[in-house]
Amino acid sequence: MLTSIKTNKFEGSKTKELAMMYFRVAIILFGAQLLFGLVAAIQFLVPGFLFELLDFSVARTVHINALVVWMLYAMIGSVYFMLDDETEVEGVGIGLGKLAFWILTAAVTVVVLVYILVQVGAGTEASIWFINEGREYIEAPRWADIGIVVVVLVFYWNVFATYLKGKQTGIMTVMVADLLALAGLYMAGMFFTDNISMDQFWWWWVIHLWVEATWEVFVGTLAAFALIKIIGAKREIVEMWLWIEVLMLFGSGILGMGHHYFWIGTPEYWWEIGALFSALEPVPLVAMFVHVLYDWGKEQGIAKAAGKTGSVMNNGPAMAWIVTNAFGNFLGAGIWGFFHTLPQVNIYTHGTQFTAAHGHLAFFGAYATILIGMMYMGVQYAYGIERLRATFKSKMGIFLITFGVLGMGIALTIAGYEQVLVERAELGGGWNAFFAAQELPWYIQSMMWRAIMGVVTFVGFIYLVWDLLTIGAQAKKAQA
Amino acid sequence: MFEPFTDVVPSFFGMLNQGPLTLTIFLHTVIILPMFWIYFSEKKRLNK
Amino acid sequence: MANENVSVWTSIPFWRRSAAWVTGFATILLIWLSFDTLGQISMNEDIKMNIDGKEVNKRVPGPTVINYKIGYAMSKERGHEVPTIGEKQPFFGKEWSQKEAADLLHLGKLTSQAKNCMNCHTLLGNGAYFAPDLTKAWLDPAWQNGGPLQGMTGKNTVEEAMAEFLQHPSQYPTHARMMPDLGITADEAKGLVAFLKHMSSIDTNGFPRNFSKTVEQFKAGGTNAH
Repeated sequence: MLTSIKTNKFEGSKTKELAMMYFRVAIILFGAQLLFGLVAAIQFLVPGFLFELLDFSVARTVHINALVVWMLYAMIGSVYFMLDDETEVEGVGIGLGKLAFWILTAAVTVVVLVYILVQVGAGTEASIWFINEGREYIEAPRWADIGIVVVVLVFYWNVFATYLKGKQTGIMTVMVADLLALAGLYMAGMFFTDNISMDQFWWWWVIHLWVEATWEVFVGTLAAFALIKIIGAKREIVEMWLWIEVLMLFGSGILGMGHHYFWIGTPEYWWEIGALFSALEPVPLVAMFVHVLYDWGKEQGIAKAAGKTGSVMNNGPAMAWIVTNAFGNFLGAGIWGFFHTLPQVNIYTHGTQFTAAHGHLAFFGAYATILIGMMYMGVQYAYGIERLRATFKSKMGIFLITFGVLGMGIALTIAGYEQVLVERAELGGGWNAFFAAQELPWYIQSMMWRAIMGVVTFVGFIYLVWDLLTIGAQAKKAQA
Repeated sequence: MFEPFTDVVPSFFGMLNQGPLTLTIFLHTVIILPMFWIYFSEKKRLNK
Repeated sequence: MANENVSVWTSIPFWRRSAAWVTGFATILLIWLSFDTLGQISMNEDIKMNIDGKEVNKRVPGPTVINYKIGYAMSKERGHEVPTIGEKQPFFGKEWSQKEAADLLHLGKLTSQAKNCMNCHTLLGNGAYFAPDLTKAWLDPAWQNGGPLQGMTGKNTVEEAMAEFLQHPSQYPTHARMMPDLGITADEAKGLVAFLKHMSSIDTNGFPRNFSKTVEQFKAGGTNAH
């Protein structure tokens, strides 16, 4: 990696240099996410695996934290990548931005080492400040929370100052507003309360308003930028779509929050709000899919009419990942989310493998895909490639990863059916009901398939990294 | 049509929740109605 | 000269204004709803409840709820199960004052986070799916008098059995998938049990559904265990 997305010194853009630094760490953390996911998957099948050395809770903490952090890294990288193109000026304060990058990376390393080596603390405030906050997805101890806020402030200042100085496109306007909301929401997860209902109430402000609102708008913005860059889509059309997407995503996503407030002690009126608003959440995701394919077809048609042959794409692998994103977002976040969003179903499915199935498909389909696409755009820029074509390794990477994650999602969905029907509907929950469902042969088979598909995903990941390391140099050679 | 209040703590939203989809219809309406005004004011602006 | 044929639907400013309106107003509605909800889910310091009528004024009772017997029963009116608060019941052999109960719950909640419970279990249904949901764990028949988990620890009350298990989980293997030893002290274990008892008294709108069925099945002699 260090030799490929390498070219740390660019002729032109300092901003893009910084973007590359973020992409590099992101892909390493992606690997960590997959490895610890495999450990956790094995522990479902072999309960004694690494017992009291690296327990499930530790493996899963690293699995989901590496996920969140690699995505944030790739997101920051993507913003820096598009920043100077969109504003048409060099990023402001990039030196400071680089310092912030190193601080963040050092902090992430310490946090992960503490998760793995220290694992748990005593029941005191000190544990929450220095070891683990014990709240799913935002486990990072409080000192790191504060560090993250400082680093994000530096990042936001870089972006905002550049935005004010340069051209203010529609894409950048949405991005700047969205990032402010995204960063601000993190603060809702930074306090302690004895009241578990209150705890979960604010916890969802971070988690839901990130992944079902601000992150989705972020993806819409990236897709808009990438379509202009890769297939030469018309800015007016792309930006109009973007505003429509913002309208629909925030219109459904913000009050769609209700679907997390069904059972945590919050009032019954959230049933109706959560059901109806979140049922609309898939609509913008369909729109985004249509938009990507429509623009692609349209640009191809225009080129053909003009007598040009060949594809309008100047970056095959990036476009492949972006189309996977457009469909994966709709399938994983939209369809799988809708499956269990109504309270009538959710009262049984809440807190089962069904949720895990949705989580895997949605995080991959909606976010991982487009962020990998951005990395390919980074490689293209780093090597100054005019047309980046997919190699055998690019194809193996995207095929195996997509197939693997889809397989995990389906396996977990089947495990979820078993668990929902047996543990919840038939036996009514409780300790014995839980384990009765976990021991069902069909459940165990599903977990076996999940582990196998996890390995497939990991093999795909190796192809992906190998490709990112070599595709640039190879294409440059061919170009010369 | 309107059922007696059954939730634990009575509140404005809790009351709206007693009718058939009344709460969600209320919320959707207050969000969407002003868009008509935005539409017509934009129409007026474009016509000039 | 007015042009009546111009379309608003392809106007970027129209969509931009609409997006700004919808986002802003949905946010305001969410904040309004949040204030309403926060009022309903904040804990009473002074536990206001009607013990005879088995009603709670608020959805999340105060910490002193650990001094009472908690149940979970079908409510015809609401169409799902709701927690009930019954007569007084000693907790670790005594009645806890308001301050003592609050301190114990504080210790329990802190411990639940410091020990990372949520990355194996679910709390109120949120967390990981490797171990049983803890929302109503306090009411689980396996922990009651005559239940296998209480029997295994050799204790006579739910709270003592749970506290003993939490301190030495790998000495009491309940399943091939065991809970690891997390170095939980005797005090922390008491706190955790208070936290679990308090959580079971929260009105979760009927989640987990049918949990009382588990209790009845157990009373009838079935344990669901293989």
